[in-house]
Amino acid sequence: MIDLLERAAIECPDRLAVRTSETERSYAELLDDARRVAASLQERGLRRFAVVEHDAALILALLAGAALAGAEACQYPPDIEAGQFREQAQGLGHDQVVTRRADLTDGMTVHDSAGLIGDTSYGGSAGESQPLLIRTTGTTGVPKAARHDWRVLGRTVSDRTAAPDERWLLAYGPQQFAGIQVLLHVAAVRATLVAPFPRQPRDGLEAIASGGVTSVSATPTYWRFLLSEARARGVELSGIRQITLGGEAAPPDLLEELTARFPSARVSHVYASTEFGSVASVRDGRAGFAVSQLFPDNPGGSMKVVDGELWVRAGAGMLGYADSEDVDSDDGWRATGDIVEIVGDRMFFRGRGSEVINVGGVKVAPLPVEERVLAVDGVAMARVFGRANRLTGAIVAAEIVLEDGQDEDAVRAGVREAMTDLPRAWHPRSITFVETIETQGNKTIRRTEA
Amino acid sequence: MAADPAQVRGVIVDFLGRVGKAADELADTTALYGEGLELDSLEAAELSAMLEDTFGTDPFSSAEQLPETVGDVIAFYEVAATA
Repeated sequence: MIDLLERAAIECPDRLAVRTSETERSYAELLDDARRVAASLQERGLRRFAVVEHDAALILALLAGAALAGAEACQYPPDIEAGQFREQAQGLGHDQVVTRRADLTDGMTVHDSAGLIGDTSYGGSAGESQPLLIRTTGTTGVPKAARHDWRVLGRTVSDRTAAPDERWLLAYGPQQFAGIQVLLHVAAVRATLVAPFPRQPRDGLEAIASGGVTSVSATPTYWRFLLSEARARGVELSGIRQITLGGEAAPPDLLEELTARFPSARVSHVYASTEFGSVASVRDGRAGFAVSQLFPDNPGGSMKVVDGELWVRAGAGMLGYADSEDVDSDDGWRATGDIVEIVGDRMFFRGRGSEVINVGGVKVAPLPVEERVLAVDGVAMARVFGRANRLTGAIVAAEIVLEDGQDEDAVRAGVREAMTDLPRAWHPRSITFVETIETQGNKTIRRTEA
Repeated sequence: MAADPAQVRGVIVDFLGRVGKAADELADTTALYGEGLELDSLEAAELSAMLEDTFGTDPFSSAEQLPETVGDVIAFYEVAATA
């Protein structure tokens, strides 16, 4: 990160690097902030610390400053509850926190985030090691944390050419791996980051409508909320040229809607995780990944299918989990927990192994069912999951958000019609109509039963 | 939770409509499986979920014996009423 900022500050010092709800910083200003942060970290002897901060401009300065000083920063969600923070910080051995919140003092030495941008500037250059700790998201229980290195992550964006006209919306939290990817890309192509807070789809929509955003990377679920919000408010979403999907499989109906609404935009889909890094991407606007991507040893990583499960060998993945050995001691192949199926020249995602629904001994993957439900006329959003049942162990259940003015019975009939090519055990036996689909903190849909 | 026979019957009729089965005659003695409504386990599971969603509990999940007739389903809610 610091290397990218230094290069950008030389090539285009006055270009706007980041605009947030609180501030605007050019590349020169951001680099200056980062150097001051590095000096403060050195002076205070901070080698490893937690960050609980919401403003992306400050976060960029903190992350780049930490990289410069060789200190390991680890972001927590900015709105994390104080008790949860204490518990999770203890688990990761954090006793220093950089924050502007006043309620995180318990057992912690607190450093004011803005206060770290001090009077002195760090004159040295970055060392060999530029550690970064990224916590995993999406799963229940205590998040794990993956040790990364900015130099390794930076390799994945080193070949990107300057694109100063791009303005990227930060739809992910910058504490998420996908958010870090957006920060890296923006700095690598010397573009501008537009980062409102809060980071809900409606905030994103406002930023798109008013901020000249050209590019958005978000989960399919985020896109669905954004599109329905735009429809409800009659907002035109012109100017979008790049749409990047990640975090969950890209449903065919959403891909169709996005290509129809943004005919001149490039739609790409990324397969990435906190542990493995960004492994592969497709840009042809079709669902699934090309089978040809399974074989080449590309720099991002390699994929293979073992017993219906996707395995990857990371090219720029984590060094290891926090408090554990580096992982690259063996051959590097890791199971992902993602169930895939190859049909023709494409590899399709069928859901997480943990989401498979056992209906009377038949293993049902929720995603193909959900994709069919989503394709039914009148369905705005949907979630398919297992519901416990005494007779069959579980049944397939669906929650559906209707588009305005749609009839429940007609949609029920449409869903039934849409399942005819699937085995009977796969058909939803419980359909409920809801106001909205609950999402997890990382804006993905949970398909395991609550 | 208690429910009167007409309400329970109404849910069964709705259910039969959804799974595309005719319900010309829905007597208390009509069998749920076999010769009667010919429900298989998946359809019975669907009916149990519908009953649970409507009344909060259902005989397929909670009764000691699985219901075999329309009347068994109705009786489950009547017993619940007197309990």
